[in-house]
Amino acid sequence: MSPIIEIKNITKEFKVLNRREGLKGSLKDLFSRDYKTVRAVDNISMSIEQGEIVGYLGPNGAGKSTTIKMMTGVLEPTSGEILVSGCVPYQNRTKNAQEIGVVFGQRSQLWWSLPLIESFRILKDIYQIPDADYDSILTLYKSLVDIEPLLHKPVRQMSLGQRTLSDILAAFLHNPKIVFLDEPTIGLDVSMKSKIRTLIQALNREKHTTVILTTHDMGDVDALCERIVIIDKGRMLYDNDIEHLKRFFGSYRTLRLRIGGDLKAHAASLQTALPECTVSADEEWISVLIDESKANVPDVLAQIQAAHTIRDLQLQEIATEDVIRKIYEEGVQ
Amino acid sequence: MQKKGFRFYLRIYFKILAQDIKSKMSYRADFIISTIGMICTNIAGFISFWILFRNFPSVNGWGYYEMLFLYGFSLVSLTPVQCLFDNNWSLRMNVFSGDFIKYCFRPINIFFYYQSEVFDIKGLGQLAFGIGTLIYAWVKLGLVFTPLMLLKMIVFLITASLIMISLQNAAAATCFWIQNSFYILDLVCRFRDYAKYPITIFSPFFRFLFTFVMPIAFIAYYPSLVILRPDEVPVLSWISPVIGCIFFFASYKFWMHGATKYSGTGS
Repeated sequence: MSPIIEIKNITKEFKVLNRREGLKGSLKDLFSRDYKTVRAVDNISMSIEQGEIVGYLGPNGAGKSTTIKMMTGVLEPTSGEILVSGCVPYQNRTKNAQEIGVVFGQRSQLWWSLPLIESFRILKDIYQIPDADYDSILTLYKSLVDIEPLLHKPVRQMSLGQRTLSDILAAFLHNPKIVFLDEPTIGLDVSMKSKIRTLIQALNREKHTTVILTTHDMGDVDALCERIVIIDKGRMLYDNDIEHLKRFFGSYRTLRLRIGGDLKAHAASLQTALPECTVSADEEWISVLIDESKANVPDVLAQIQAAHTIRDLQLQEIATEDVIRKIYEEGVQ
Repeated sequence: MQKKGFRFYLRIYFKILAQDIKSKMSYRADFIISTIGMICTNIAGFISFWILFRNFPSVNGWGYYEMLFLYGFSLVSLTPVQCLFDNNWSLRMNVFSGDFIKYCFRPINIFFYYQSEVFDIKGLGQLAFGIGTLIYAWVKLGLVFTPLMLLKMIVFLITASLIMISLQNAAAATCFWIQNSFYILDLVCRFRDYAKYPITIFSPFFRFLFTFVMPIAFIAYYPSLVILRPDEVPVLSWISPVIGCIFFFASYKFWMHGATKYSGTGS
């Protein structure tokens, strides 16, 4: 079976005006324009199979949205080739739109003042969904989430979580081959996050929909993705399954401690006591970065507790940004 | 998947429209206040017109009722742009904030989808007011009423509307390239106030400007000549339906060109 998305060496460049500083500079800008070319996406290739859930990660401004815009047909790549279910998205925007669903985290695409069910009815017409399919997907939705209270509520009266949920349901309504989710869990509480993850997973399983997910929340990645693609500064850093990546970030944790006295001095003495960890201190906390392949957290904690009275402690998983930075700095083995 | 023809779009349009009106009605206070506001605007416009004509019996050979006819004609022909294309006013904000991108993800025409989203119900008051004025002027002028006249009237009203819609589309679409497109849109909106005067009162420079550059003379003057002065209709009046269609098509292409060049803001 040929892949549903096939990307070959795409590059996207933007022309950006070099703005001069100050009022005098702005006046100069009016007359002589000095453009520089910024490469938002630089020679990226990947191919994605039908039914995969791919986590598309990278720090802010890495080029994630630009890539997604190219896959959805909003932007035309400067060079390279994209095929989404066999056609070039930019040249067949409306045809491509029929095959995809898009959710942009904080921008609802539903009709603001309409109850959800009315939005669904309009979408049914726009996407020309046959009655039988429409009924069956609504039945499926009802079995997956408690949709009844949402259906008759205008979108503008919904909470952010309900709105995101509705947007995701709307994106899957016409049974698209691919759904793009851009930070779907941003700003949501824990229970809503888990609800949305369960929903995405269930829909992927039921409908065999390919899901491309961008997020900064490692919880999303853990719950959903088997495969991860990481880009930074427009360049592809990593494209492999999550197990492989876990070796990078799963093995690092930061233990943060609050103890009395001179923190700088304590940190220095702890560092000598714990050569396998990296100890640092700020005004309030002492941070101990533990590489779990070399030491385990309870042992380190016991060792510290023997010497100091711990008033408070936190255990932090390493953040996506850190993993990406780590990968970026050290490369991928 | 069936082909998305005219009927497909018409059905979707009415569906979205019905929903929009329904939801607008649900803000009752807003609806009532804006309706009253619209009535006041129209009455104020009419009063200033009336005061003007208390002092001047005619403008450049155009009598009171003829001017009234022109006035009513421009009100009616401005209704479609007011009712159906009002979302053009928000285009600037949508483009600036990046929300415009949501219109790019549906398998339907972007221009259609964007414009379908807002129906400004206030325009209907203006329509009623305009039709009333037209009928009053028609009777007072002693014009005959034949099906042919009615047909002419409808064709030229549509023409005038198309011109106004084109102007607004083009003005709104400038926001895809420049940030402060509000001034352009506002300028066009102000110029259309001149539409209700016979173009002959202006100097040759403005006559040229209003005919060929910013064709507001086609909104009321040239089309009205067909009804009011059937003996001295210039060629421009007869070809104005064609010009209307060309202008509309050009403005649509311009708008779409901007929309497809749109790249959105970072998220």
